Amino acid sequence: MRHVGHGGKEIVDRVMASPSEAKDCIRGLKQIAITGRIARECINIAYGFFTPLEGFMGKADVETVCEKMTLVNGILWPIPIVFDISKEEINEKGIKKGDTVLLVYQDKALATLEVAQIFSYDKAKIAQSVLGTTDAKHPGVRMLNEMGNKFIGGKVTLVNTPRFNPPFDKFWYTPKEMREKFAERGWQRIVAHQTRNVPHSGHEWLMKGAWFSANGELPVEKLQTGILVSCIIGPKRVGDYIDEAIVLGHQVLHETRYFRDDIHMVSIVLWDMRYAGPKEAIFHAILRENLGCTHHMFGRDHAGVGTYYDPYDAHRIFDQIPEASLNIKPIRILEWWYCPTCGEVTYSGLCGHSQEKQAFSGTMIRSMIQDKVKPTKLIFRPEVFDNLMECAHEYGFGSPFCTEEYLNKRQPIFELSIL
Amino acid sequence: MCSINLWINEERHDKLNQVGLASVAKDVLAGMKVLQLQCTKEQKDRVLELYPVAKFDSATTKSIELLPAEAKDKMFNLVIKKRNLDIIEEFFESIS
Repeated sequence: MRHVGHGGKEIVDRVMASPSEAKDCIRGLKQIAITGRIARECINIAYGFFTPLEGFMGKADVETVCEKMTLVNGILWPIPIVFDISKEEINEKGIKKGDTVLLVYQDKALATLEVAQIFSYDKAKIAQSVLGTTDAKHPGVRMLNEMGNKFIGGKVTLVNTPRFNPPFDKFWYTPKEMREKFAERGWQRIVAHQTRNVPHSGHEWLMKGAWFSANGELPVEKLQTGILVSCIIGPKRVGDYIDEAIVLGHQVLHETRYFRDDIHMVSIVLWDMRYAGPKEAIFHAILRENLGCTHHMFGRDHAGVGTYYDPYDAHRIFDQIPEASLNIKPIRILEWWYCPTCGEVTYSGLCGHSQEKQAFSGTMIRSMIQDKVKPTKLIFRPEVFDNLMECAHEYGFGSPFCTEEYLNKRQPIFELSIL
Repeated sequence: MCSINLWINEERHDKLNQVGLASVAKDVLAGMKVLQLQCTKEQKDRVLELYPVAKFDSATTKSIELLPAEAKDKMFNLVIKKRNLDIIEEFFESIS
């Protein structure tokens, strides 16, 4: 069965299935030890999450992405996906165009990279065009600044398939597997909810509202629309929720039937956030298009950080691109808040009591928990709270938030075998 | 103006009751109690500079959240001592 992804291209599959074939192919290759970000992006490229990309970008693609938000072939693409390396390492290892190198992650072989091009590119130019700023306090700018001073463009082939550890193993699906899941469930429309948070009722209502939008005119006697919760798994900082609490918190909403079994599923995707606001909203849409979703919800300040972007920039950018450039529809959503007059959590687009609104957010709820206050069940389901405390005990070394101990000692999201 | 939220747990509620300040806690979100300490933009900027782990939730609640526990405990104790919510300047003095 043919699976068509972004840009009308077949979902990329650059995974070497046979370990013995992989072992032969990597023998004698020069090795480069890679970071977590590069490892995650190799996995994403190889399994087709970044279709039509087959590898890390060359200079021409980086240039057109920055200048026109497209690849050289004209396909919409907002964020450069680059392999960075230091000039010193290139010289030390004698890496040159035409080589194939072995990418090693945590001392294990992960992927090969065909060196099609070695180039330099002004990282400040990338920052300004993609992030809209060169301020070193912006986390995406910091990420760019920390990259090496050279880039290698070329195709990636995964030679060693990752083994996801519990509890993540049940939630990771490749694009092909995800599409098969949707077909099994009879879902005609799938609306993606991207999250890096333990769900509060605002998130829950975001998802429910988006379901209605995506379902649209479809008949309702047999439901054919699903919500895909797509939890971003990437770098963490002290104070963030632990990943296990995020994924299992969403799964708890499913198991305790705040969402019907036939209209909701939880998944994870590997991605290092750039916090690029509107351009990252487009990137996220592409990612979920490749997963087979038909719609993607966007709330206020999607992929934003601080005050670098207007809260609804990520909504407006979808009006600035040709409709045919993306085969996934954005669902743009305003805030949900608690209204004491309505007596419920309600939608700002419907409730006329804005003077009385009581806003709440994931950040506020984290503060409440830190103050040893259990949030009221109106804003945080008690089952999610109980799960949060269980995760703190089982995975978080006593805390539902990342601590130095968690960051240093946590079980890895995935592991690789020795080839 | 923005606010610093001190969420009222049982222990804090008892202390507020003891000094007759239970009524200054606001009822919010159908069953929660909070002390909202108001601060100016300059005071907000100073708090965020002193405590880089804290966050000003500019997108939704317009409040400073995620202050370290010891900072919030200090602020709460100043509220109890002064018997009012206008304690931000005393807080800055106490930590300088």
